[in-house]
Amino acid sequence: MIPIDRQELDILAGEYVAGVLDAEAAREVETSLAGNGELREMVAAWERRLHPLTRLAGEAEPPPDLWERIAGRLDASAPPASQRAPNTLALWRWSTFAAAAVAAALALYIALAPPPAGPSLVAVLHPPQGDELAWVATASGDGLRLRPVAAASPPADHAFELWAIAPNSKPQSLGVVPPQGRFDLAVPPPVVRGGTTLALSVEPKTGSPTGQPTGPVVFIGTLVAAD
Amino acid sequence: MDEPATLSSLNELVAAVQRGSRAALKRLYELERRRLYGVALRIARRPDVAADALQDAFVQVWQNAASFSPERGDAAAWLTAITRYRALDAVRKLGREVLSDDPTLGDRAEEPDILARLDAVLSRDALRRCLGELEDNQRRCIVLAFVEGLSHAEIARQLAAPLGSVKSWVRRGLVSLRSCLGP
Repeated sequence: MIPIDRQELDILAGEYVAGVLDAEAAREVETSLAGNGELREMVAAWERRLHPLTRLAGEAEPPPDLWERIAGRLDASAPPASQRAPNTLALWRWSTFAAAAVAAALALYIALAPPPAGPSLVAVLHPPQGDELAWVATASGDGLRLRPVAAASPPADHAFELWAIAPNSKPQSLGVVPPQGRFDLAVPPPVVRGGTTLALSVEPKTGSPTGQPTGPVVFIGTLVAAD
Repeated sequence: MDEPATLSSLNELVAAVQRGSRAALKRLYELERRRLYGVALRIARRPDVAADALQDAFVQVWQNAASFSPERGDAAAWLTAITRYRALDAVRKLGREVLSDDPTLGDRAEEPDILARLDAVLSRDALRRCLGELEDNQRRCIVLAFVEGLSHAEIARQLAAPLGSVKSWVRRGLVSLRSCLGP
């Protein structure tokens, strides 16, 4: 049970960061992080508060081949989200369950969507730290549509702002997502194309004051061809 | 020996990783591997499990670098959190019993050592003062949980205390820490 009371929620965040929760309770917190901005901020605050304690662990030398193993995993995968080429959905890193859920949601979404009037792109947005599918964006001749798949609300007095990030480029704002979570853009800018990353950041209600993301990126995904 | 990893250089390296620099990720690994492996090993106890956790953590850092915002965050705390969660995942999946069957990795002997070193290790930190204001049991529970990755039930076993007491010590300890440390 994820509590609603603020102090109870903060204690749960502290217990999660401290590591005392059993597997089931920890998983419940992780699942809620994507859609619960308040919990996310509380967890981040506990991570900062308790971080000095990690010095107690002491240092140790990892196995000498560990970097090669990491590099091997990276070679087998895609570059980071902002650099990812079109058509690499990098499904390998999703858990089987999440991948199946994404496939099912995509199939459903594409089946329900009106026939595209042009080349069709789709992005599934998930939390940067997690696998849970949270939003689906489609772009076609009819424009760009963003729809929440799971309940996700920004922290109080904040809004989600949608950004398009072409490889090696600065984020470009596509607009502030209305509170009910449905966002449409009839004529998206040229940056909305295959290989571009879409990201939702937490911003003031009227959008980022700087023209660049100022709050944390909470959902992210790359536009790929839908077929 | 590596040059000291200053906060700003770690933040700059993460920013370079965000732009897709594999070299920056490697440098990040070189600077932080001993500290992060130590954190993972303390939780996982077994070198192979700790190495896997650190490997998963760096793949996640590469994949999810975009989630870090340098102007708001502390790269060391961010890296540590990712590593700890991967190590905690492994412990929860494999079970603590599997991981602590090696008698040379026994945990009871470590506890006084860890608590005794609190003051020296935290030096001028506000966390030191605030932990000092906690009752002994509360402080012991929170430190054991965070550093050793022990669950409520495991702390109860280690301290030979009722599970309910441990849960309430952790709770009240967290509430006191929260009000002492602030946001």
